[in-house]
Amino acid sequence: MSAIRTRGLAKSFRSGLRARSVHALRGIDLDVQEGEIFGFLGPNGAGKTTAIKILTGLIRASAGEAWIGELPVASPESRRRLGFLPEGTFFHEYLTGREFCDMHARLLGIPRAERADRVQQLLIRVGLEKSAAVQIRHYSKGMRQRVGLAQALVGDPALVILDEPMSGLDPVGRREVRDLILGLREQGRTVFFSSHVLADAEMICDQVAVIVAGRVVEAGYLADLLGGQVGGVELVAEGIGEELSAELSRAARRSVAQGARHLFEFSGEDTAEKALDRVREAGGRIASLVPTRRSLEDLVIERSAPETDR
Amino acid sequence: MTPLFQPLKRVAVLAQNTLREAVRNRLLYNLLFFAILMIASSVALAELHLGDRDRIYRDVGLSAIAFFGALIAIFVGINLVNREIAQKTIYTLLSKPLYRWEFLAGKYAGLVGLLAFQVVVMTLCFLGVLWLQNAEITAGLFQAIGLIYAELALVTALALFFSSFTGSYLAGMFTLAFWIAGHLLADLRSFGAHSEVEGLRALTEALYWTLPNLDRLDLKSEAAAGLTLDTGRVIAAGAYAACYSLGLLLAAAFVFRRRDFQ
Ligand SMILES: Nc1ncnc2c1ncn2[C@@H]1O[C@H](COP(=O)(O)OP(=O)(O)OP(=O)(O)O)[C@@H](O)[C@H]1O
Ligand SMILES: [Mg+2]
Repeated sequence: MSAIRTRGLAKSFRSGLRARSVHALRGIDLDVQEGEIFGFLGPNGAGKTTAIKILTGLIRASAGEAWIGELPVASPESRRRLGFLPEGTFFHEYLTGREFCDMHARLLGIPRAERADRVQQLLIRVGLEKSAAVQIRHYSKGMRQRVGLAQALVGDPALVILDEPMSGLDPVGRREVRDLILGLREQGRTVFFSSHVLADAEMICDQVAVIVAGRVVEAGYLADLLGGQVGGVELVAEGIGEELSAELSRAARRSVAQGARHLFEFSGEDTAEKALDRVREAGGRIASLVPTRRSLEDLVIERSAPETDR
Repeated sequence: MTPLFQPLKRVAVLAQNTLREAVRNRLLYNLLFFAILMIASSVALAELHLGDRDRIYRDVGLSAIAFFGALIAIFVGINLVNREIAQKTIYTLLSKPLYRWEFLAGKYAGLVGLLAFQVVVMTLCFLGVLWLQNAEITAGLFQAIGLIYAELALVTALALFFSSFTGSYLAGMFTLAFWIAGHLLADLRSFGAHSEVEGLRALTEALYWTLPNLDRLDLKSEAAAGLTLDTGRVIAAGAYAACYSLGLLLAAAFVFRRRDFQ
């Protein structure tokens, strides 16, 4: 059974006085399997938050359908075993970290006997045990993100939806969140998170969907998306003339010159071979020659180039 | 089907949180401080006056309770509901398995509880002033205060209703306008009745029957004069306020159910 399923999910907003419609989502189909980490990726304004708000019951889709497990998202029961960290960490400033988690635990109907213990465990897990009695208004960005995560996990959720869980965190914080997400999968939970930092996703996701301007442009298992296609070859040459440099630039998909060093990136191996010969003929020196693996970043940049609208 | 007590438990959690926020909010204490200052100043006002001093104490005290109570109901009420939406703190709440009406009911219960606390504090100050000045404390005073509380509950329901679909500025203006109009309805109706224009008369008549009639809940002048009214009339007025409030809350829940949070 899918943890999340959407079919033709669309949302348009009527914006401003001119009543022009903004199509934030233009029909997306997602299938998130139970027990996997699903990366929901895309540039700013792609529609990630909009989709997540539909899944968590905050806004209603203009068209299409969405289910959490077996239940349509319109039903509050679909959120019984859902943990959600919204984008931007806007929390009740006047509550302490512990009160904040406790309130959400009570909304989930967790009995009093279990509550204090569970909240304490979570606060330790996210590293907030020392600040548990401090009001959230005094928290740093990283601490807010953590208390938000604790709130999301308080109901022992089967599915955790995190909107930009790593934004605003320092490298140590990002790594901790990554480890936490991996830990959640180990416990058998499903994690669905959005990000525009692709390196984060590449390291931990099983499946990804790349969304650009409200459409899914790439979706599937990361291994398939990145493995199947040939990467490029990167050649760094020194001591070649202007003329040859210009010639190779035309053949390359990317080229950079810095002083006497020239970097060319070729999409195929044969073009790279030919270029190698030409450099040798001309008496240039090969500084390096490396095959480049295709990264998620390349993939996204490729797919978002034609129709960005930011 | 979830048993009914589960939603009620969640409403109680949200109500408690509303109270907690209010207690940690400075605006509330400022308003309360001015209310007490005003009740106390009735002593000085009575000094300047020649007539019936007891009447002045009672009049100023009751007016202060009603006026500052309404200010608290409107501004603290709208502030607490709208801030939750504008500052997006509602996101984590609504992502829990609860119906949206539970959020509104929790807010309303919290606010009405808060107002009960306010009214009790102001009433104690008021009774203290009367006692110190040896003024007579009549049953009519409690009738008047009871209906002031009913009025505040109704004004809070208005504030919640407007907050369910518009921002705090407009919701504040609308609630204030309805509160003022609600006290002028009888005048408005007689103005319309004496008007030559047929349409105007129909309009004022329609307003008289649809807007909340807050004059019905106003026993201040009777109580200040030392009168005690028939209990049946007081209960009928209270029931009117309760029904009107319930209607507003149902309308708010209906609007809120369909709202997008962005
Ligand atoms: N309430 C709204 N009214 C009008 N347009 C909106 C509204 N909310 C979102 N949009 C538009 O919908 C599009 C998608 O926004 P969304 O917040 O979902 O993007 P996102 O992928 O989460 O971006 P980011 O990475 O910046 O968080 C944007 O073009 C945005 O301007
Ligand atoms: Mg977003």
